Amino acid sequence: MKKARETLKTVSLVLGLGSISFFIFNYFVFANLRPKMIVFKPISSREESLMNWVGIGLLISLSFYLLSVWQIIKKLKNLEKIKTSFVFLVLIGVLSFLFIFSDVALLNDIGKQYRHGLSQPEWRLLYPLVSFQLLTSLSFVYLDLSGFLSQKKPKPVVRDSNLFLIVQFVGLVCGLMGLTASSLGFLFSRAWNLFLHVVLSSFILLLPYFLVVSYWFLIKLREKDRQWYDEKQLQDVGKSAFLTLILSIVFMVFLFAANYHQLDGVVSILWLPLYLFLVLFLFSLGNLYFSAQE
Amino acid sequence: MKLDNHLRRYRFNHQQISQQDLANQVGVTRLTIHSIEKGKFNPSTLLALKIARFFKVRVEDIFYLAKEEKEK
Repeated sequence: MKKARETLKTVSLVLGLGSISFFIFNYFVFANLRPKMIVFKPISSREESLMNWVGIGLLISLSFYLLSVWQIIKKLKNLEKIKTSFVFLVLIGVLSFLFIFSDVALLNDIGKQYRHGLSQPEWRLLYPLVSFQLLTSLSFVYLDLSGFLSQKKPKPVVRDSNLFLIVQFVGLVCGLMGLTASSLGFLFSRAWNLFLHVVLSSFILLLPYFLVVSYWFLIKLREKDRQWYDEKQLQDVGKSAFLTLILSIVFMVFLFAANYHQLDGVVSILWLPLYLFLVLFLFSLGNLYFSAQE
Repeated sequence: MKLDNHLRRYRFNHQQISQQDLANQVGVTRLTIHSIEKGKFNPSTLLALKIARFFKVRVEDIFYLAKEEKEK
């Protein structure tokens, strides 16, 4: 057990240091390419090949965030009380994880626009995202080095409430991001693509929620005296389900009425992701609210 | 009529057992015990029986109807 913990710490540290190094490398690559690309100067094949390394770096960061968030969730599962710092760490981990996909999309767009001789405003968005991710990697590596994540587990609890709450926090973030991303479709309706902006984006934005729910599911399956929800949790889930049902009906009626004369427009591909993310957002928010009503 | 309880008092009389330890003994989360103590959540009959059995008392020694207690 101790050996496994040490191996995990080493793997995490290697990935973390790799992630930081690659983010610094990415800054240099971007600083080198941006001045050329915005004035449409030609790029050498050597410079173009550097983008492959940027991609590898992003993959390493993706694995590092996944591993770190998993370690944090594992640790807080047995804590007596959920701490704000832990929730904050999970949230920045989830956001950084999602931002990896944003990085890929932005770089892809920049490349396409450069080839077609168009301006590339995406650069302005890329730098803050990468800086945020670099800060997350630095924080997680610091946690690793300080031994914070590999400390001994506290006394196990029979029924955990922390994992349940973390699932709701992740649901809240994914729901909110999904709602925001889907709402953008109304602003850029001409450019909105069914597969890219609806199917793929929704899949990516739901991925952290799917992963954390799968982890919760696995933990429950391993329990001897399995009980999916605790008594109070069941009551809270019931209340938030009712709240979600009412508010989602109101929202869908409003969406239908607001688009009554253009139902064959962009709303025809946006209604499902809007509904999905709204339900996820309201249900998670409701659960958090009712859980806090001790 | 409201269901009230002496759970907090029983915990303290029982070697000051923590909410988490009691929750572990009866198979619920700490938040459930906390909510019961605060009167924000009414436990099921099963949970009330489990709690009473843990303290080796009758259910009505811990749980009572708030109006009844006033009348006493």
